[in-house]
Amino acid sequence: MSDIQRYLLDYDRNKKDATATAQQSATRLQKGELKLLTLIQELQEYFNSEDAAVRAKTMAYLAEVLDAVPQKVLSLQQRNLLTNFVLSRVEDSEGLGSCAKGLLALEERGKWDNETVTKIMESLLENTFPLRQYKQQSERYPILRLVDTLMAKYRDALRTSHDTNHTFMSKFISYFEGEKDPRNLMVVFSILRVPMTEWSIGADAQELFDAVFNYFPITFKPPPDDPYGISAQDLKDRLRDCIASTPDFAPYAFPALLDKLDSTSVNTKTDVLQAIKSAVTEYDPRTIALYSITLWDALKFEILNVQEEDLAEEALNGLSAIARTLSLGENGPLNAYLRPIIKECNEHLEDAPTKQSQAAARILHKIANVSPEVLNILLAGVLPNLFLLFQTADTMAKRRGLLEVLVQLIQANIDVYGTWRSLGTAGEQPSSSALSQFQPQALEIMLNGLEAAPANEVSFRLVCLDGLLHLSKARGLLEENDVGNIIKLFYNVVIHEEPYGKGEIKEAAINGLVDIAHQKPQVVEDIAFPAFMSQLPDVDSDQSRDYLPVLEAFAKLGGEEAIFDTVILRLKNKFSAAVTQGASSTYLVALLSAMLYALKKGSSRLEQDPESSTYFNDIVLPLLQRTSSSDASHPKVFDDEPTLDLVGRICNIIIRSRSVEQQNQIAAELYTLFRGTPQPELAPFNTNTSPESTRTMIVSTHLLASFRKDARLPCEIQLLIPSLASFAQQAYLSTSVRLASLRQLSLVLNKFVPAAFLRTCIDPLLNPPTSLFDVDTLDQSRIRVIFACLKALLLRNSPSLSTLYTQLLSFLSNPTYGTIVAHGFSTLLQPDDLLTKANHCTILGLHKQKSFTQLVPNIASSFKTASQETKPNYLIALSGVLRWMPFDLVVEEVGQLIPLLLQSLDLKGEDMVKEAAITTLAYVTQEKPEALGEYVGSLISRLIDTATLTKTKASTNNATSKTDSSPPPPPRVRAAALRCLTLVPERLSTEKVLPYRRQVVKKLTAALDDGKREVRSQAVKCRGVWLAVDEVGDDD
Amino acid sequence: MELDKDNANPTILNPSDLPSRRQESLVKKRDDGGSGLFDNLVPAYNYLNDPFDGPSSSSDSDYDVVENIDEQEIYDLISSISDPEHPLSLGSLAVVNLPDIHIQPPTSPFSSVSTVLVEVTPTITHCSLATVIGLGVRVRLEQALPPRFRVDVRIKKGTHSTDEAVNKQLGDKERVAAALENGTLMGVIRKMLSTCK
Amino acid sequence: MSPSLTTPSPAPTHTLHALATLNPPSNSRTWQSAPHPTQPLVATACADRTVRVYSLTSFTLLHTVSGGHKRSIRSVSWKPGTRGQNVLATGSFDASAGIWRRHESSRQGTIGADEIEQGGGSEGEDEKEEEDEEDYQFSCILDGHESEIKSLSWSPTGQYLATCSRDKSVWIWEEIEDDNFETVAVLSEHEGDVKCVAWHPEEDLLASASYDDTVRLYREDGDDWCQVAYIGGERGHGMTVWWVEFEGPVATIQEKDFRASKEGLSDAQKEWIQEAQKSGPRLATCSDDCTVRIWRRTPKETAETESRNTGVPSIIRSFSVDEDWVADAILPRQHERAVYSVSWSRRTGMIVSAGSDGKVVVYKERWKSQAPNGTEADVDGQKEVESERQKTEWVVVAELFSTHDVFEINHVCWVRRADKGRKSEDEEVIVSTGDDGEVKVWTLEESS
Repeated sequence: MSDIQRYLLDYDRNKKDATATAQQSATRLQKGELKLLTLIQELQEYFNSEDAAVRAKTMAYLAEVLDAVPQKVLSLQQRNLLTNFVLSRVEDSEGLGSCAKGLLALEERGKWDNETVTKIMESLLENTFPLRQYKQQSERYPILRLVDTLMAKYRDALRTSHDTNHTFMSKFISYFEGEKDPRNLMVVFSILRVPMTEWSIGADAQELFDAVFNYFPITFKPPPDDPYGISAQDLKDRLRDCIASTPDFAPYAFPALLDKLDSTSVNTKTDVLQAIKSAVTEYDPRTIALYSITLWDALKFEILNVQEEDLAEEALNGLSAIARTLSLGENGPLNAYLRPIIKECNEHLEDAPTKQSQAAARILHKIANVSPEVLNILLAGVLPNLFLLFQTADTMAKRRGLLEVLVQLIQANIDVYGTWRSLGTAGEQPSSSALSQFQPQALEIMLNGLEAAPANEVSFRLVCLDGLLHLSKARGLLEENDVGNIIKLFYNVVIHEEPYGKGEIKEAAINGLVDIAHQKPQVVEDIAFPAFMSQLPDVDSDQSRDYLPVLEAFAKLGGEEAIFDTVILRLKNKFSAAVTQGASSTYLVALLSAMLYALKKGSSRLEQDPESSTYFNDIVLPLLQRTSSSDASHPKVFDDEPTLDLVGRICNIIIRSRSVEQQNQIAAELYTLFRGTPQPELAPFNTNTSPESTRTMIVSTHLLASFRKDARLPCEIQLLIPSLASFAQQAYLSTSVRLASLRQLSLVLNKFVPAAFLRTCIDPLLNPPTSLFDVDTLDQSRIRVIFACLKALLLRNSPSLSTLYTQLLSFLSNPTYGTIVAHGFSTLLQPDDLLTKANHCTILGLHKQKSFTQLVPNIASSFKTASQETKPNYLIALSGVLRWMPFDLVVEEVGQLIPLLLQSLDLKGEDMVKEAAITTLAYVTQEKPEALGEYVGSLISRLIDTATLTKTKASTNNATSKTDSSPPPPPRVRAAALRCLTLVPERLSTEKVLPYRRQVVKKLTAALDDGKREVRSQAVKCRGVWLAVDEVGDDD
Repeated sequence: MELDKDNANPTILNPSDLPSRRQESLVKKRDDGGSGLFDNLVPAYNYLNDPFDGPSSSSDSDYDVVENIDEQEIYDLISSISDPEHPLSLGSLAVVNLPDIHIQPPTSPFSSVSTVLVEVTPTITHCSLATVIGLGVRVRLEQALPPRFRVDVRIKKGTHSTDEAVNKQLGDKERVAAALENGTLMGVIRKMLSTCK
Repeated sequence: MSPSLTTPSPAPTHTLHALATLNPPSNSRTWQSAPHPTQPLVATACADRTVRVYSLTSFTLLHTVSGGHKRSIRSVSWKPGTRGQNVLATGSFDASAGIWRRHESSRQGTIGADEIEQGGGSEGEDEKEEEDEEDYQFSCILDGHESEIKSLSWSPTGQYLATCSRDKSVWIWEEIEDDNFETVAVLSEHEGDVKCVAWHPEEDLLASASYDDTVRLYREDGDDWCQVAYIGGERGHGMTVWWVEFEGPVATIQEKDFRASKEGLSDAQKEWIQEAQKSGPRLATCSDDCTVRIWRRTPKETAETESRNTGVPSIIRSFSVDEDWVADAILPRQHERAVYSVSWSRRTGMIVSAGSDGKVVVYKERWKSQAPNGTEADVDGQKEVESERQKTEWVVVAELFSTHDVFEINHVCWVRRADKGRKSEDEEVIVSTGDDGEVKVWTLEESS
């Protein structure tokens, strides 16, 4: 049987086979086994069939064949013949879609000439008008695609039919009328957009506009499982493009849009405003000139009486778009547009500070940004009035309101003309800003305001300060000496003013200085520095600490690269001066702190050239000298451990970026610190030195931390490690020194032991005499050493961990030391400010993962079998581990962990454990609420108990009476519990939490009366959220 | 709907002029006159809670120092409520003011009931929303204060045409309770309270 | 400022002891508790839209009546004189009143106090079992009020049900047959929310208290109900009146309270008793003004009073039905905030009051000391109502702070004691209902 017969047979049985058949015919055509003519003849009979379905299928077959035929198989004549044939079928309303498909296929196989195109278009309009008569979207879609193709590739042809036949257009437009399907609509919009943008549509403009505007606003919601993924936004965008496509629409578009602006729906309003924006952006200045005022009158309301912040934003965009378009044309229209704006804004300034004066400022700022011209017109229009009002203003509040507007305008000026260091939108050009002529007045007002206004006028002075800052930034606006005056005023505030209220002014002044320093480093250096320095005594005879604010400000300035070096230098000199003159310890510490702060801020500056040895020689070496020396150069305060820590950190931050060579100079003296005592007599090698002499371990720790891996340590590692291990266990060490030694141990194991060499270094610790893990000799100080080692190893994912961890975990069941070990776990992953990449440590990506998988499941399982007495140890250990574990790791095991975490909330004392548990539970609630499952109830009740322990019992008579024995968890924990409880209703479905609502709300009243403010405010938030959980059908 | 507002263009206070807890604390507390810039240069946790020295609640050593609920705290609770007709806070509109908040301790040694009196100042004398605002304040405080406080919300004398009537309503426990069950009204209140910190 | 500080409260002669907290308490505010006229039951109106029926023998929850109302239930009242069934009326903020029925299983019948005595503690459990067997069924709804119903009350005969609402009206309903109610009167005299309605113990006389600061009384004139008296203005509370309650039937009360022992009474006092007979039960009110006040009806011509004492209102009225109610006393000012509820013991004539300040105060009336004039006026400066006819004075016999911890008390009432510890057949206890959702029972004992 012939292909068509088979096709028709399969069509309903199995479309795939049918298609296969069609493809087969195509191949046969290509191979020449099948003559085109025969094929057509075979079809005739079916095309003439009574049965419409058959005719449709036949057309489908032909279309599929054509689509499958490779390029070049069909000759031009054949294609023309086919085209005409298929086109002739268009009259048959059956299989229209297939016709279109067929034609598209043919078009792909060879361009048409204009006549054909015209013919096609005409016969479509002739026979298939209007398109909506075809109910099937699948029928209309191919047609639309066909027309779209014609529009895309054969514009001239179609345009000619438009130019030659004046009825064409209106028929063409109404052809698509009533299209509802979003997918089709997308095509229709893009089809119509062509005539809109490219043809001269004079007469048809309105019809054309209405054709698309009928769909405004788009309210379509895509079905959840929409295969074509067409979103409402897609439609909105295309529609907007159409509206904005030609100025010819203006007479219809703007009235229609403004009319819809009265809608109460925020969505509609948004669409309108966005449409207006793109219209005014696309249309030409001349057109816009006609509507600018009308638009202003309509749009301003959205800003002056903000209902929805977003709407105000859109409206502002619209207004500035108008200005932008107009400034492309002549000045007349632009001025005409700006005039009423200036007028209105000036009026609103009258009663500043109000909602509307603020809105006015917004408008001015936004529009002024458009271009230098606009900016200058506005400035010229508003500033005189603004200053006038300011002079005559009767209240501080009003003055403030006016200055707020002024600041916005200066900001606009900056946006356009840029700052000293960066160009504005106007690009490189001589600042012709109108601001410059008002600049002296502005400067005077604000200098005066900041200086003279009473301290309690915080907001007023803040505005002045802010304004001055803006002035000083504005590119090419102020003379250096003006900037100087501003700086003077600022540092006067910083130095001499009594802090008032929240100290906002002082803070703002300091930050202001930093900002200016960024713009004009030299001026700051020349003017502010001497002033600051003069405030810093060499020796603080009277115990006053006035210098502190100055130091703070100064240190902050260090953050600014351009003046970093100077800041450090001055501080350094001040320090040595202070030492030699025997200044007080507090002062010295303050200076050191300032230095460290500045160094941290400017550390980037330090890394720039590792070779430079300035700071190394000027700061590090002298400091180390002082540390170890015993003569006058050694200040008393250098005997205090905190001071040594500071010194250590200062050295560290400088050294760590130095080259190995430089580092080695220090490394050699790591323990001796240039004091000439033989190393073996010193800590850590000598375990019975005087406590005093051990202090320097603090400094050496920071030095050790700063070294690169290949730095040369002062002794063999095999010696150093055991020495540190045993030294750290000495009973007489102070907490800080002990900690320092332990951290050295960690640093060495992490940084200076090559992987290959690791076993040889650890084994001595595990085997006698040290035998770290020997249960019988276990004690607190040894446990510390164990954890110090593990901390170092886990960071480098050492394989030895697996065995070490198992031993460690076995200790948890130890009746005597189990609890201590348990607490140790919180140190394992605790972030450490020395074991960092910056300090050249080995920190591998997956280390937390590894530790998690090696510890947590193990703990969880042993917990089940553990004895009642030791169960808590496992909970403590667990929370210790989880405490620092990223949640995405925890989430894996979370199912089995929740019960344990809940039980840890029942532990007595153990506040840190509870806190950690709560943190994790909070994560669970936040990220994986479904995991809570049946535990919701017990979670809620435990959280409440934790949060309200003080009160729950103490009901009768006096709310402030405490009755229960065990001390309540600290405020921090109570607050955490409440924070977590707040998440519960936020993250879980109403049905889940509703049953608990009333009792939670009731019980929380106890927390509302907590002794601590932070807890109370959490309780308020929490209770608020729970109250909001609404009973179903509560409203009416 | 923008136009039928009672007061479409209220005066707005600047946040930094509003009273706040930090005013007396922080800055004043530091005897060294500094801002504590250098305090965290040395990370605390290394030297404090060394877990081996047992759980240290040292960080909360002052934890039995009771911070009583004071006028400022009440102010903080209600000043962030937003006005029903402006996206602005009652504080910045000066509808609630610190000096108009009074806490009265228990009047008898046997009683633990304190009273809070809040006088609100409508933006204009004929503000039809005065009752709603008052209700909002009362609801907020009833939700946020422990039950030992009795909350009295009044319109400040002479600042509203019908203040007596409004006061009587706001004072009526039963009416307030019923209002809280009115979905539409509660919707308004919720919106007002949604900005509370 | 607060009265209790200005006026020294006399040393209380009694003390209140916590007997029980009905268990379990509600998680939401409880508004009012109504004791059953005959059985040891109390029904409590809750903000969670339920009524909780507790046993006064076991102090435990027997039934939770729910499902009928869309908003808080504000008020609840037992229908008196029902046989074989218990009937509850509930008034809700959803503007409707509900009627609920529960048919007594034969075993229980109408249960008398003594039976419970034998039943002992186990009674509680027995009743529990029934909970499932038979629960209160929502039988019909009374619509009509435009806004929240604030109080409702059955007339002593059970013939009428009075409801009042924020819509300023008082409605009187009559139950023609089961679940078929007819509105016999809509009284819109008040100018503000009507807070409370109460019936005269013997006459078809209804009193209502309101947000408009007044109290009004109504009775049937012909076949129309109308206002017959008005207490307000100058001589009134001057602030919202929260509660009204009538004194018990004078004839019976006088046999029990301080008037019982006649010997040694002055003629004036005897005459005063006579007068009281003629006036009939007095009215107690409490208010936002922190006071509790007593009002007395000025008696009319004997013919009239004759008929009244029989409890049968005369049909033929030769004269207007208007009555004159005058201030009789202001109780010692013990409250510092609004007084929400006051209750008048039908046995001892004592009054108990409670309110926003969380206090429960008990007062007792006594013969004023025959001291020479002057010292006599020391009864809390109630000069305004002093008259030489005033022969008695009210004194505080007990005062308890923080009765419901720090919470407000919405309602108090006297209830026949029914638990094992009961001292006498007719011993009374006080039941207080608070914002904390708890209903507490208190005994009043002479302090030794």
